[in-house]
Amino acid sequence: MDYNMEDTQNPVEAQKVAQRNDTQSVTKRLQAELMQLMLSPSPGISAFPDADGDLLAWTATITGPTETPYEGLTLKLSFKFPNDYPYSPPTVLFKTPIYHPNVDFSGRICLDILKDKWSAVYNVSSVLLSLQSLLGEPNNPLNAQAAELWDSNQEEFKRHVLARHQDLDDE
Amino acid sequence: MSLSKPWNHGSHHPFPHKQNFDLYRDVSSSLRPAFSLSTFSPFAMNALSPDEMERFQRLSNTYQPDVQPSHSIALDYANADPTLAAKTNTESSRIKSLNTLLDQIGLADHIYEIFVDATEDILKRIIDAIQSGVQDESFLVEAFNEGYSSDAVITHFRLLTGAWIKLNPGRYLPFLPMPVDQYCSTRIDPVKTEIDEVGLQALIHGVIEGSGFGVEILYLDRSEGDAVTPHQLTTNCPSGATLRLLYRPGHYDILYQAESTLNVAPIVNLQYGLSSDYTNSWDNATLGFDMNSSLMAIPNLMQDSSFGMGASMSPMPSVSPAPPSPYGMSPQQEMYPPMQSHPPIASISSPHPPPSSAPPPMTSLPSRSSDGPQIRLNPLVMKPNLSRSLPVTTPFKNSPYNQAHFQNSDFEPIHWEPHGR
Repeated sequence: MDYNMEDTQNPVEAQKVAQRNDTQSVTKRLQAELMQLMLSPSPGISAFPDADGDLLAWTATITGPTETPYEGLTLKLSFKFPNDYPYSPPTVLFKTPIYHPNVDFSGRICLDILKDKWSAVYNVSSVLLSLQSLLGEPNNPLNAQAAELWDSNQEEFKRHVLARHQDLDDE
Repeated sequence: MSLSKPWNHGSHHPFPHKQNFDLYRDVSSSLRPAFSLSTFSPFAMNALSPDEMERFQRLSNTYQPDVQPSHSIALDYANADPTLAAKTNTESSRIKSLNTLLDQIGLADHIYEIFVDATEDILKRIIDAIQSGVQDESFLVEAFNEGYSSDAVITHFRLLTGAWIKLNPGRYLPFLPMPVDQYCSTRIDPVKTEIDEVGLQALIHGVIEGSGFGVEILYLDRSEGDAVTPHQLTTNCPSGATLRLLYRPGHYDILYQAESTLNVAPIVNLQYGLSSDYTNSWDNATLGFDMNSSLMAIPNLMQDSSFGMGASMSPMPSVSPAPPSPYGMSPQQEMYPPMQSHPPIASISSPHPPPSSAPPPMTSLPSRSSDGPQIRLNPLVMKPNLSRSLPVTTPFKNSPYNQAHFQNSDFEPIHWEPHGR
């Protein structure tokens, strides 16, 4: 991976460099996050940059929390980081098909911290932990049917979860 | 109808040739131009007398984009004095010592350090610049305009503010509609939030007060008279400098007054607001303006004899100690010659100008689309489709290119015509 580390102190160059600066800062931040994830991994979550090497695309996995319909399931997600990360949230999608009130059938997630409540102190790890707890505590009916079923019939809900779930092959 | 020049403070203005909207435009266009009155809907406006409207407009003309973290830096820097290196050093240490707040609330240092680093970096560069006698402050303009470093500093101050609240819950909880943690995670921490009253108090108590700067809120309430109502939020300000914020519900703008603040004639807003993550809604081209000329809008830097300004010191050709004309250094001026026809100057403290005074004839201004920014360009209230027109239509308040300006060919009479609907 190739990271530009050029001198940005020169005011004449500054404007030119500003754009690249952003990318550099994003990269630096993401490297730090990756380091942190590797040094002190949290149980049940993992994440790693995709092979293409620009660090702006990651694949993550979470395991379904115990005592939820997702117990024992492994769910893959994709992270796409904007150039102004962490001042804008990453775009996070479930790649593994999942049946959940907060997730639509394209894998899009309805979660406030990934939208207007995003804070620059959130990171891959905290997003994954939030998503993990979201599995057991849905709160926003993006998938209305799932939301209804969650409230009315947990047994049936779990059947839907398992029917929809498909383990993705490692690419 | 008279629109006052925002920075004219009567005949005592020490830097007449700095009363230049082109300069102002350069700087603020890349920041957060804030034209007011937009919050008054046409309906609300009907309820206002022309005099009131005028008063609001005059007050509004002094709006500045919201500025939080580092106006102190701007002030210090505008005073550029070698002894400030020491002061800045002290401030840098103080800011760093505030890390303990973040530690106390359990924030991991690997999470907050990039934000703290950004603030420290700016302070350090100020110290270096002062110590080495370099008069090029373009790094400041850049730092406060370039999204990433600006965002980092703002995030740093958000974190400090949130930590302060969490560590002093008794002081703030009675004023909060929700638990402290929830308040911080929804009103302080998120990138896309503006600071509110409680948050501002905490920012002042926890972060600003220790710097020795005073803070004053100027509140555009609707009380009698044509003066804005000031509220002093700090009991003492050893530095003698006061940060002034203009308040309207939901939003604070920094305000500079020429008087009293040492020898500073504050003009430039160097920072983003607390809610600064709107870069996507702002045309990137706004950052492409000639930074050099925007620096000209920094008061004193060029006039202060202590600066020993030499043209050779500066990489900025436009920064000459004796500009040939007030408008000579603006790139916009070349682009839009008609802009030289500036409206008459009216002091903010002057009596009401006759509302019926006939506006000058329309100049040959290019037509602007009617969906252009009307008045206040706070990104929170701005429509996304406005962004593309920002660089030319909104950069500074009293330009005829601003649709809020009566000389603009797209000026909306409904906002101004006393006998209108």
